[in-house]
Amino acid sequence: MHKATFEQRPKRVALFVTCMVDMLYPGVGIAACELLEKNDIEVIFPEEQTCCGQPAFNAGYRDEARKLARRFLSIFGPLVESGEVDAIVSPSGSCVTMTSHFFEAIFEESQETELSHQAERLASVTFELTEFLVDVLGLVSTGAQLQGKATYHPCCHLYRELGVDEQPRKLLDGVEGLEVVDLPHGDDCCGFGGLFAIKNSGISAAMGRAKARYAEQSGADAIALCDVSCMTHINGILSREGVSCRAHHIAEILNNHLGSTLRPPSQPAPAQADHPRRWGE
Amino acid sequence: MSVRNTVLARLRETLRQPHLPFPPAQSEPLTHAERMTVTHAPGDIWAQAQRFALELHAVKGSCELLETVTEARLSVVSRLQLWLEEEQAARKTVDAERPEDWEVLCWPLDQLQIEGLPLILKEVGFKLIEPTDLHDPQQRDHIRNVRAGITTVEAAFASTGSFVVGGRGANARAASLTPFRHLVVIPFSRLFATGEDWLAEMRHAGKLDAYVRDSRNLSIITGPSKSADLEGNLTMGVHGPKVVHAILFDDLQH
Amino acid sequence: MQVDIHAPYKDRVQQALGDPNLRVAVSKATDRMSNARRASMDAIEGQQLRSQVRKMKEHVLSNWPDYLEQLESNLTRNGCTVHWAEGVEDAQAIVKDVALQNSANLVVKSKSMATEEIHLNHALEEAGLRVVETDLGEYIIQLADEPPSHIVAPVIHKRLEEIAEVFQDKLDMPPTREPTKMTSLARAKLRQEFFAAGMGVSGCNFAIAETGTICIVTNEGNGRMVSSMPRVYVVVMGIEKLVPTVEDAYLQLQALCRSATGQQLTVYCSMTSGPRQEGDVDGPEQVHVVLLDNGRSRMLARGYGEALLCIRCGACLNACPVYQEIGGHAYGGTYNGPIGAVTSPALAPEIAQFKELPHATSLCGACREACPVKIDLPRLLLDLRSDLVQQGASPKPEAWGIKSYASLMSSRRMYENLGKMASIGSNLYAGMSGGNIKLLPPPLNGWTAYRDFAPFAPKSFRDWWRDRKKLRRQA
Ligand code: SF4
Repeated sequence: MHKATFEQRPKRVALFVTCMVDMLYPGVGIAACELLEKNDIEVIFPEEQTCCGQPAFNAGYRDEARKLARRFLSIFGPLVESGEVDAIVSPSGSCVTMTSHFFEAIFEESQETELSHQAERLASVTFELTEFLVDVLGLVSTGAQLQGKATYHPCCHLYRELGVDEQPRKLLDGVEGLEVVDLPHGDDCCGFGGLFAIKNSGISAAMGRAKARYAEQSGADAIALCDVSCMTHINGILSREGVSCRAHHIAEILNNHLGSTLRPPSQPAPAQADHPRRWGE
Repeated sequence: MSVRNTVLARLRETLRQPHLPFPPAQSEPLTHAERMTVTHAPGDIWAQAQRFALELHAVKGSCELLETVTEARLSVVSRLQLWLEEEQAARKTVDAERPEDWEVLCWPLDQLQIEGLPLILKEVGFKLIEPTDLHDPQQRDHIRNVRAGITTVEAAFASTGSFVVGGRGANARAASLTPFRHLVVIPFSRLFATGEDWLAEMRHAGKLDAYVRDSRNLSIITGPSKSADLEGNLTMGVHGPKVVHAILFDDLQH
Repeated sequence: MQVDIHAPYKDRVQQALGDPNLRVAVSKATDRMSNARRASMDAIEGQQLRSQVRKMKEHVLSNWPDYLEQLESNLTRNGCTVHWAEGVEDAQAIVKDVALQNSANLVVKSKSMATEEIHLNHALEEAGLRVVETDLGEYIIQLADEPPSHIVAPVIHKRLEEIAEVFQDKLDMPPTREPTKMTSLARAKLRQEFFAAGMGVSGCNFAIAETGTICIVTNEGNGRMVSSMPRVYVVVMGIEKLVPTVEDAYLQLQALCRSATGQQLTVYCSMTSGPRQEGDVDGPEQVHVVLLDNGRSRMLARGYGEALLCIRCGACLNACPVYQEIGGHAYGGTYNGPIGAVTSPALAPEIAQFKELPHATSLCGACREACPVKIDLPRLLLDLRSDLVQQGASPKPEAWGIKSYASLMSSRRMYENLGKMASIGSNLYAGMSGGNIKLLPPPLNGWTAYRDFAPFAPKSFRDWWRDRKKLRRQA
């Protein structure tokens, strides 16, 4: 994908916060917003935004996905085209993949050429948060401080579709006091996969448990990552399996949201970790 | 319409569709100029021979590099003797001379590129078997227990430790396949840096097409037969030879 | 517990997940193969090799019928007999007829996915022939009466002790777990079969159109045996397995070996251009080549032609975290892993016959990264999901759910109300169970069966944003 190069340092960006961050993890959105503002970027939050439609696309419902994609383009398109913002930034590799890879494809499929071109233009100025901070703003550190041991899990869409990997690792390395350790089999998928986690929950959980085992092996207290969907899955598994380490969105680490020292979660592990309860069974 | 014509017509029609997502309507063949050479073996012929030895060792074969044909001749004999001793030692029961111990499955001797080899082998007591028709039950039965085979090669590739044996005329495919041990004689004149080099030379000489067809069967061989099917445990000599030993010698000096 | 390939999908997956040996055996082997692949691709210009092989194969498929005709005419010129088969039945009949005409009672086979596709062993056995698989791994699973579970390593799902049991059971092997002893036993047994067989059968890794040459690659030498020892040699090949020139073949061979096992070259690449001729010492007297469509042309028409680039190296299986957990049999078709999840439905008369497979993936993309011809498997899987939806093959509640979600998300007001309600509800509920949600109603119980769920935030990001704006305005 072609990415825009900026002749002047961007001044203003639109935050695409994603529905999950908005409703479940506002702290991640706040961190993203503050990280940008600290670096003299004015943030605009278009309040009309909801969801990019990825769940529908992922499940194979292209018409529904196009409905939400059109909506997204109608909100963010004019902001970019009028020059009101220089870029769109989002704290999610997965949602950026949806808007900047798959939008174009689904409108090509429906032969809505105008929209697919618009999606392509928008894609060139859409950035995942760490990608923006490092590639566009040239940051090497956000000035964060945190005592403890952390590891990094590259979420699949970010790593393989967007090819963003060094950027978050670089910023993590720049956190003062943080020891970053290797995650064995780090680039193996955590098993989330959207609808997959429900439809094939047995396989998904088995993959998640493998990730949990490796996280435990790494000795880290925290797993940093760039997607709250994978974070939800990994934390759900870690909590159920009684593993004390937790996944955190990188923005919260980079913006000092976790206090001064990484601590195991306050909530004790459940007693019967290996006897999951089931509904109606 | 025959199945053939139905299938071909269906493919043609599908490929004419304007919005077919794949394949691209315009696609060029890979040209000779752009096609990459995957592995490389730089250096003169001796460097290449050493590389060949290195690569063959890496796949559990063995190799010796010799300066003259005379040495090669001696080496063939002593290798066969060594193998004979190993076989007999492994068998534990020392039954008196089993004739098949002394038999060696072979390509026609004029192919072997080592003058005087038959004579000396005979002197030492080895009997060379040159089958003429392996669908003949008697001959087929005969080669069943032969423990060693000797062949030369069409070509050998230094960068991968591979060699090519051809299966036309009197060159029995069985000689490099059915025995437990394969002794392969490679004169330097047949050694190429890479497989790509060999193919380029054949192509350039206008011989490649006819050569491949006329060979009926060509086998590129890289080391002894092996398998990892038993839970990843490497075992050797599953169907083909368990032992592959190459004797390379310099035939380019004059 | 063994996976019953005929059981329904859900049961197969359950059986696979419940077999601890399977995971150990499979992940050990796939890790080993993946590491070997990576190392061997890194040792050369791996990216260039991938691009070139892809380009070459794309060109073949763009000119597919022409190359098929070229191959056919060259095979014929070389003295081979060419047969065309539309599907399973006629392919079976062709091979059966060749065997019967030549009174071949014993057939030796070299590992081949195309013959698995047409259930050839079964058909020949019904006709009264004895069929022996000769690849060591295939031999083991034939003895155990199972289908292969990996394109390249058919018995990848079994541990050594399980294999030893099969040998003790079926071959009267004295108790041992010594791999070399087991191999010697197999060698001795199969050697008899090679010498006695009237017909050899193999698949085809690639056929060279310009020379009419069939290439098969093996490490054990069984490919050479079946194509050299019996009087009759039959090749069953998918019609997509074509390369234009000898040089292209050598290029693809190297991509295949490196991707499959990390070898520079397999031990044997056997290239057959025709039957034995006057004066030849050995080699088959007849060579028959069956060109098998069996859904391939349909696959192209359906828009899944990219998957026809596949050179069956198995790298995508080795890279796949789903495959590592469930192995091959859970996929229930001839092909498994990511490429199987595409190929099985795309080849089938109806995509919906394999409607679970396009969902048996987290779409992580590790397969595409590994694939030597860069097939965009995640995209093809997403396309299959979309086709299933369009054919009405997806569950009704799911369709209803997605439609309601899409309309909720289409309105800011509804979206914000939903958020508030979910926040209040989930926090109440989580409060009752100590902070995290451990149990949700169907269909979300799929989540909580294995994972906890954190409640929605009491205050959303947009609430924060609005509050902050208000504060700033006041200031
Ligand atoms: S899809 Fe690619 S990686 Fe998978 S078997 Fe085919 S060629 Fe190999």
